[in-house]
Amino acid sequence: MAEENAIELRGVKKAWGDVVAVQSFDVEIRKGEFFSLLGPSGCGKTTTLRMIAGLEEPTEGQILLEGHDVVRVPPYRRNVHTVFQDYALFPHMTVNKNIWFPLKMRGISLSDAGQRIDRVLRLVNMEGYERRLPQQLSGGQRQRIALARSLVDEPAALLLDEPLGALDFKLRGAMQKVLKDIQRNVGITFIYVTHDQTEALTMSDRIAVMKSGRVHQIGTPDEIYSRPATAFVASFIGEMNFLHGRRLQAQGEMPQAEVGGHRFRASRSTITGTPGSGDEVLVCIRTERVQVNSHRGTDHEVEGTVRRIVYRGTDYELTCDLAGQEVRAVVSAVDWNPELRVGTQARLGFNAADITFFPQAEEKEIVQYTTEAV
Amino acid sequence: MSRRNRGIGLKAYGFLVYFFLYFPLIVVLLFSFSPTKTIVGISGFTLKWYQELFRDQNLLAAFLHTISIGAAAVGIAVVLGMAGAFFVSRVHFPGKSVFRTLVLLPYILPGILMGISLLVVIKALNIPLSPLTVLLGHVSFTVPVVMFQIMSRIARMGPNYQSAAMDLGANPVQTFWYVTLPMIRTALIGASLLAFTVSFDEIVISYFLTGTWMTLPVYIYGMMRYGLSPKVYAISAIILCLSLALVMLMSRYTGRSADVYRVRSRQD
Amino acid sequence: MGERFSAPRALLRGIPITVWMLCLVAVPLGYTFLISFFQVEGLQIAAKFTLKNYRLFFTDPMYSGILLKSMLLALAIALLAILAGYPLAYMLSFRVRRGKQALFMLSIIPLWVSYLVRIIAWRTILGNKGVINSALTSLGLIQEPLSFLLYNRFAIAVTLTYICIPFVFIPVYTSLEKIPRNIMEASSDLGAGELRTFFNVVLPLSLPGLVTGFIFAFIIALGDYIIPQQLGGTQGIMFGNLIWSQFGFAFNWPFGAALSFILLAISVTILGLTSRFGSTEGGFLSE
Repeated sequence: MAEENAIELRGVKKAWGDVVAVQSFDVEIRKGEFFSLLGPSGCGKTTTLRMIAGLEEPTEGQILLEGHDVVRVPPYRRNVHTVFQDYALFPHMTVNKNIWFPLKMRGISLSDAGQRIDRVLRLVNMEGYERRLPQQLSGGQRQRIALARSLVDEPAALLLDEPLGALDFKLRGAMQKVLKDIQRNVGITFIYVTHDQTEALTMSDRIAVMKSGRVHQIGTPDEIYSRPATAFVASFIGEMNFLHGRRLQAQGEMPQAEVGGHRFRASRSTITGTPGSGDEVLVCIRTERVQVNSHRGTDHEVEGTVRRIVYRGTDYELTCDLAGQEVRAVVSAVDWNPELRVGTQARLGFNAADITFFPQAEEKEIVQYTTEAV
Repeated sequence: MSRRNRGIGLKAYGFLVYFFLYFPLIVVLLFSFSPTKTIVGISGFTLKWYQELFRDQNLLAAFLHTISIGAAAVGIAVVLGMAGAFFVSRVHFPGKSVFRTLVLLPYILPGILMGISLLVVIKALNIPLSPLTVLLGHVSFTVPVVMFQIMSRIARMGPNYQSAAMDLGANPVQTFWYVTLPMIRTALIGASLLAFTVSFDEIVISYFLTGTWMTLPVYIYGMMRYGLSPKVYAISAIILCLSLALVMLMSRYTGRSADVYRVRSRQD
Repeated sequence: MGERFSAPRALLRGIPITVWMLCLVAVPLGYTFLISFFQVEGLQIAAKFTLKNYRLFFTDPMYSGILLKSMLLALAIALLAILAGYPLAYMLSFRVRRGKQALFMLSIIPLWVSYLVRIIAWRTILGNKGVINSALTSLGLIQEPLSFLLYNRFAIAVTLTYICIPFVFIPVYTSLEKIPRNIMEASSDLGAGELRTFFNVVLPLSLPGLVTGFIFAFIIALGDYIIPQQLGGTQGIMFGNLIWSQFGFAFNWPFGAALSFILLAISVTILGLTSRFGSTEGGFLSE
């Protein structure tokens, strides 16, 4: 059973004195999986990666590589390689020698390594650059060489620490595809650290969302997006409305809450225990799930005054006032009705299937990157 | 127009400062070739003072002493300084800035303080003045020279290279040999040359710690008591040229150049 | 990011440097401090606690007078070195484009030229039969050699200023180069003249370098004993010579140790001030 897993973390914890960087991380990462650690800076994702690489020692817990506990094994005897954010290509070695390095450490001569070096260079599409020095390469090229160097001795897993962080926006998109293709081709397990939710969603098989050392959710991109486990996950990924509501007595199956005099039913609630009537709850709905002046029927319809309209190219972001709270809705530019102006009334529609209740206590964990915050 | 004039004024002033800096050195060079002792009387050219130098066995011995002290001090300073540089750069501990300042003390404190305090301890331990005591003095101020040079290279290097090497399968010895050492190699050479230069003409500390086994500066200092003989100019000229050669060599290895400062300021 | 994995190894690296510091810096300075409370009996140093050495220094106006004069002279030297070094750094940083590299080397080379050679040079220039006097005599401008040139404070000041110029130049140049050029452009765009830009922008921003350079020059000048010995003559006794003489013919080590400690206290106080305003390294040892 354990053989199926490339990497397994069991209760892994890391603390420096009183400062807890990672608290009790449990996960089983399958062979060939593209697994992302996603979270804001300082969430413990890089520390987790460094513990797997052996560059940090966990305070507690076990790390299993292909079924063997490696907590006491130094990094140079672990069959995993890291791609660093700054690539860490050795500046005094040519591309060729850089890629040879892991093989050289295993006692393989440059001439014997030649074929394998050629193969990985072809894999990352960098043939012909063998004699260059890292300083003579562009950022994207260095990235590829760093990747080639880490892949040349076929490790059990590749650990990537924000590998695209130093690249500009367009190049990042292109490199995401390159990375994903390479991962599919070689079939090696990738553990990918990023703070970019889009990157994580588009590339990963599974994602662990972390904040302040705590793992909030581990799941597929779809699960993370459509069924966030906590208000933090809901806020960190995608764009989410958080409305303050009061719990109402449930009528039927679904939990209910009241927001500004309107009753909302939710298909999901993460609130545990017996709900007291009148408790505060967070009523959440994705901005793109809010229907604006829709002809299709929705479970709930409320009137709101348009406060702001922001054109974003492919869509509009509409901010409405709903009994003193702001509701944002994203309307595709194709469906846009130009009669909507600031100050006019808009009909907002919500479906119970899109609504989730979170405990009010989670509000402090929410991160909001709204247009007004920027 | 006035802006241009002011610029010229500044350049003229700068030229004067350069003149002030280099005129004395030129004087020494000229005097070393002068058959007479006064500048006005300079007529002709002679190498006889240089020839006399080579007949002075004591001076030649002092010269060798200086070189061996310099080499030994640099050797020790490189080991201590390199280990210390990695220690201070990579390990976080309370009181680190105090530690850094303490290490720097022998370099920035007046030499007389270092010389006297070492002398006092050496005498208290009943150790006779010898080449060893001179070496101790030289090690005391060459260590910070080497250490701070290497520290600034480490600071520019970033911490990931060692991690990357270990991650790729290099054990600590291999990491040092294949990655760390080549990356700090030029800084190491530059620092050694710098430390050697400093050691080569050190007198203030050496003066207190030298017995009968004299280094070149101490020997010359002795010669100077009887006035400045032409021989003093000849040996000065040689030292001058040697220092210049060392500085030129050094500038090839360290980033001690206007370019580096400029690049750095651009990055800010 | 701490290096937890190799922590024990990293700590091992700290051992040699710590041992070196204890043996060659901390213990000697500490022991010097200790014997400054001892006294001389006959030709022996007796380990009997006394404050007499410090009392002697503070009560005998001759000693404190020498310290005061030395500090004034060191102050003058530091200011002179700034007067020469700052404009040089300013010129190199803002006015020179071509040949900047060469001029930079030219400015710092004197730092590495033998200290003794530089003393010899100035003795030659300032001496009674030296360069200046011979030149003036042969031009018929003077009959007798100018005696104020050598063996006095003037000669000390000239030579020490000469020694200190690179020590001012380097930190000032480093801090000038760090000034973003667009700030200066902004200032001149706003209509400030060059002089006003200098006083409002350049000078304040280069102050850390200036303070570092000043303090380096001051400490070097205050602690020197060889230059006063070589060029100062009888009236040029500086604090460094006073200390030196206690270890030479006066053979009063405890008193010399007390004087050393006073010099150390002054130096450390001043260095403490630098670490506030400038940097103690001042760019000499960093590449």
